[in-house]
Amino acid sequence: MHSFLLRGNAVLTFALTVLAVACVLASLTDTLHSSKPEVNVEILSVDAFGRNPGGNDEVVLTLHISADLQSVFTWNTKQLFVFLAAEYESSKNVLNQISIWDSIIQSKEDAKIQRRTRNKYSFVDQGSNLRGKDFNLTLHWNIMPVTGAMFSEKRVLTGFRLPKNYM
Amino acid sequence: MDWKGQKLAEELMQYMLVGWAIAAFLAGYFRTSFQLMMLVYAGGVILTVLITVPNWPFFNRHSLKWLDPDVAAASINPVKTKAAASAAAAGKKKGSRPK
Repeated sequence: MHSFLLRGNAVLTFALTVLAVACVLASLTDTLHSSKPEVNVEILSVDAFGRNPGGNDEVVLTLHISADLQSVFTWNTKQLFVFLAAEYESSKNVLNQISIWDSIIQSKEDAKIQRRTRNKYSFVDQGSNLRGKDFNLTLHWNIMPVTGAMFSEKRVLTGFRLPKNYM
Repeated sequence: MDWKGQKLAEELMQYMLVGWAIAAFLAGYFRTSFQLMMLVYAGGVILTVLITVPNWPFFNRHSLKWLDPDVAAASINPVKTKAAASAAAAGKKKGSRPK
């Protein structure tokens, strides 16, 4: 004969299964979403440029980062992890990528970024290839969902160049 | 609960949970709030538990009709019972008048 414990178990198990299906559907709705982010980064000044104690080139920049990532948020977005990477080529490596700034955005309201800041992390080379170097600044953002898979998008900004000589 | 009641409870549970999940999903999607979906669904689960788990009277409306013991025995073993009954009757006759 049925007992209320048996029914209780059945209700809760079925409830969780249905919830799992609902979460899968919710994460699938992200594929219908289209985002229109706007990104701009400027280098306001090069504050220092020379060799660091390790013998490698190091640069300190003041940046103006402005980005509107509000349209990236969906109902299934928990937070965005945004980071700015400097990318360039050197004789040793085909591609060097250095993360020089990052931020975690936890709500749609905070997704309008207007920062005037020095690079948060050291912009250091492996060697001394940075004099007169052309590089890209790419803003990447990881979209962390409430349920489902994490996606990553980026916006590449080209045309930056470091000074020819140490300062 | 009786058999019909159990069936009713299980069907109620399935329809209510799926129905609440659909309602919660639509509410959350159109209000772009995942939290809303979770809250509406949690409310629905609690309501479903309250309606289907306890042994409410409306689950007992078609109660089982158990048979009488004599009728039950007869319907299982009609021959044996008759033989046993006549043997018991004969034994009784013999045993009660020792000569």
